[in-house]
Amino acid sequence: MTGATIDRPPPEVGKRFALLALVGAAVALSLGVYASVHDPTLETPYTLWFTGTINLKVWFGTLALLLGGVQLLTALRLYGKIGSAERPPPWLGDLHRLSGTLAFAVTLPVAYHCLWALGYQSDDTRSLAHSLFGCFFYGAFVTKVLVVRAKGLPGWALPVAGGAVLTALVGVWLTSSLWYFTTVDFPGF
Amino acid sequence: MKRFVDVVQYLVLAGTVVFVLALFLNEPATPDEAATPPAPSAADQDDDAGDDEDTPVSVDGAAVYSDNCASCHGSDGSGGFGPALAAGAVVDAFPDPADQIAVITDGRNGMPDFGGSLSPEEIQAVTDYTRAEL
Repeated sequence: MTGATIDRPPPEVGKRFALLALVGAAVALSLGVYASVHDPTLETPYTLWFTGTINLKVWFGTLALLLGGVQLLTALRLYGKIGSAERPPPWLGDLHRLSGTLAFAVTLPVAYHCLWALGYQSDDTRSLAHSLFGCFFYGAFVTKVLVVRAKGLPGWALPVAGGAVLTALVGVWLTSSLWYFTTVDFPGF
Repeated sequence: MKRFVDVVQYLVLAGTVVFVLALFLNEPATPDEAATPPAPSAADQDDDAGDDEDTPVSVDGAAVYSDNCASCHGSDGSGGFGPALAAGAVVDAFPDPADQIAVITDGRNGMPDFGGSLSPEEIQAVTDYTRAEL
């Protein structure tokens, strides 16, 4: 970009990003449909090393949020928005990938119980928001992974996709773990 | 470091596949199927011939609670994604047991209705259990 000219990406670039966003939207929609159609089992199929499934979900959700925070900080450093003017250390990219991968991994047992045992719930505002954020999170995550691997997308595509994932994760946490901490209990492990 | 992250990503990818498959393959028996008792054998019918038909069937309220309520209200009733029931909380919320039975039967807010999956005896048993035992 030079002077007052605006560097607009060619239209096909925008279409490519829209296509990736549509794939993510399809994933989010599929999860929502599954959760709506599937009969909730209302079971607690696992606790891993926690004392209860609810404890597992509350703390795994919180861990995912913390790892999401690591994602944000490392991404800002990689983009040169924070820290020194020097180039970021070479391991920072790997740390960003690892924290994102682990954040996603710890959401899986949480989401499994939500989808399989509880299903899509819309009877109250919190449950509805949590259901929507949860579906949106996985759709945004798929879009972000595709954007990372896609070639020729504009520079804003990856931050937008990553921001959408983190926004969804924050929404999921606010409507589940934080709600639990503030209205029910501060559970042990 | 890069190779380690690659390995972790492949493992998580495999876990994601398992996650998706489990959603579809881990379907439990429907409540109606699970609740349907097996057809009595001829010997059973002979044994029952002298029984009083009105004899109430004993229902374990704790088992009903564990199977249907604990995932949301906590195994000890201390709450979860549903409110706490233990330590008299459910009695405070529903001084009249009939109101609690109505909520269990018809559902409310985020709580599903159990009128279609639990018998009246099971609902009564779990109501008694939550009020007296938790």
